[in-house]
Amino acid sequence: MNTILQELEETISRLKTDPNRANVGTVRECGDGVAKIEGLSDVMLNEMIEFPNGLYGIALNLEETEVGAILLGDFAEVKEGTEVRTTGRLLSVPVGKELLGRVVNALGQPIDGKGPIKSEKTYPVEKIAPGIIKRKSVSVPVQTGILPIDAMIPIGRGQRELIIGDRATGKTTIAIDTIINQARLNKAAEEGKIKNHTPLYCIYVGVGQKNMSIARTVDILEKAGALPYTIVMSAPASESATNQYLAPYAGAAMGEWFMDNGMDALIVYDDLTKHAAAYRQVSLVLKRPSGREAYPGDVFYLHSRLLERAARLSKEAGGGSLTALPVIETQAGDVSAYIPTNVISITDGQIFLETDLFYQGVRPAISVGISVSRVGSAAQIKAIKQVAGSTKLDLAQFRDLQAFAQFGSDVDPGTRKKLDRGSRIVELFKQGQYNPFPVAQEVAILFAMQKGYFDDVPVAKVKDCQTKMLEYFTTRKDDVLATILDKLTIDKEVEEKLHSAIKDFKSFYKP
Amino acid sequence: MTINESAKKLHGRLPPKVMRTAKEARKVSRQLFRQSFRDGKLDEERITQMVQTVLANKSRHYVDVLQDYQRLLRLEQEKRHAVIESASPLNRSIGDQVVNNLKSRYGDDLNIEFRTNPELLGGMRIKIGDDVWDGSVRSRLRQLQEQI
Repeated sequence: MNTILQELEETISRLKTDPNRANVGTVRECGDGVAKIEGLSDVMLNEMIEFPNGLYGIALNLEETEVGAILLGDFAEVKEGTEVRTTGRLLSVPVGKELLGRVVNALGQPIDGKGPIKSEKTYPVEKIAPGIIKRKSVSVPVQTGILPIDAMIPIGRGQRELIIGDRATGKTTIAIDTIINQARLNKAAEEGKIKNHTPLYCIYVGVGQKNMSIARTVDILEKAGALPYTIVMSAPASESATNQYLAPYAGAAMGEWFMDNGMDALIVYDDLTKHAAAYRQVSLVLKRPSGREAYPGDVFYLHSRLLERAARLSKEAGGGSLTALPVIETQAGDVSAYIPTNVISITDGQIFLETDLFYQGVRPAISVGISVSRVGSAAQIKAIKQVAGSTKLDLAQFRDLQAFAQFGSDVDPGTRKKLDRGSRIVELFKQGQYNPFPVAQEVAILFAMQKGYFDDVPVAKVKDCQTKMLEYFTTRKDDVLATILDKLTIDKEVEEKLHSAIKDFKSFYKP
Repeated sequence: MTINESAKKLHGRLPPKVMRTAKEARKVSRQLFRQSFRDGKLDEERITQMVQTVLANKSRHYVDVLQDYQRLLRLEQEKRHAVIESASPLNRSIGDQVVNNLKSRYGDDLNIEFRTNPELLGGMRIKIGDDVWDGSVRSRLRQLQEQI
């Protein structure tokens, strides 16, 4: 007891009790989540402002005689005449591995009922992106486990790849599949099954979504065992526009911590259309001048400064990376709307999902023609490069010929071959939800496709043949998959093994 | 054709002028405010003269102009207004000492007001413009609470 008293006494004696100087202001007007404050002559842009009862705000508009601030939390208690003060601090959120497996709000506070987060480090929410000296070009792949993406639109660590499409075309599913695949790879690497694998931690930021959707996402991640490698940040539609506006930046700060500490992270912003709408609301209420579609003038900077924070750092800077997968929802497939064009121009490529394809049963409904990855094959392992090099071309030619061949059945043998091959590739690229493929299996499928082993299988049976072939590989030819994973390239030996395995399988497979 | 004319032709009436009014009034009031100083200090004579001119002319939005002008003057005045709060009335010598200290820091033309506020529990709280020097027992207790 004595020691406790002594400690307390010491603590008290150490406390600073000098009169402190503060810069204060008075609330003149408050509503819709923003406050106009008179005074605060010393306030900085984006500085936190302290309101009574532990409420904080952020100074966004510095005007001649007043300050416009957005409020973080319940502003029912704020009234005209309330005295507020500057804090000299910028808004920051907790960061670190302690956040993995947790669901947090835009301020980094837990909302999953699993107790407090014991993180000691914090990062400012707004941070300038790493400069050119610190960066390196993208070279390590993010294995999404989604066959058409890994084969044709590869994503590298440190890249920004946009997922764009109409409502209900499977945008979130692509992001979640990617997260699930990372968790599987991380787990396999921990168990020593994969060599030279740097774990990729994931952050899922849900902006302006239904609470139900976020709950479902968390549930899916939990069931797939991906939650321990993932941070879920939720700023649902029921929260204030302020929190929806801040959430992506807070998520980026958490990702930056991994990057700065030499680790790799992946962040999904689901979705930036709603983020832009939230920012539009805040801006309009703050009476900032509005531009096209009533968005404020700096809506491009809103997204460019966020996505620039994704980077691959050089070895000298720690070698970490932050990959960004922003999601944009289009209206009736219109990619030329304001926000979609902005984000398309900022990112290093896009995966475009089409409603028509989705309802034709091509899922994931990726439109190959307008989906690109500007990083290209630099973000593919050699084995995939060897077997998937011409796939995109084959498929594009198929789409062209398909439109042409609709008018007549008489086509020359060369064209017929291309059409047959194309329709089989489309079948092969259909993939179930939450079922990413390991990279070795992807190589095996693409190899079989490229060497024409599916050509004699009826189109309707291609999927069945693929499933059974993979089953055969995993149960009886595990060593071939292991060799591919080990070498990551297809040399003579691997090629022979693959040929013999597939021939063996085809000898007893009856479509 | 001006914007207003084309709008009138289209809708048969002029667009609402709320925004424009506020902007124009603010511009005029700021001009008045800038003219209100002599040697860096507010000059009562000038202010009265200008207000009377505005009232006599009754130009467009003159009420808004005067309202905004009054706000600017109030804010300017508050910058030089010091409120010294203490839990119990200060004795003269301490009061003088505080006033002298403040004047040496902020200049001679301070307008000083003494207030008693038992909620402070003890100590003093001085507010000058937007700056607050808080040495009250209440704020120290709050600090203590935050730090422990």
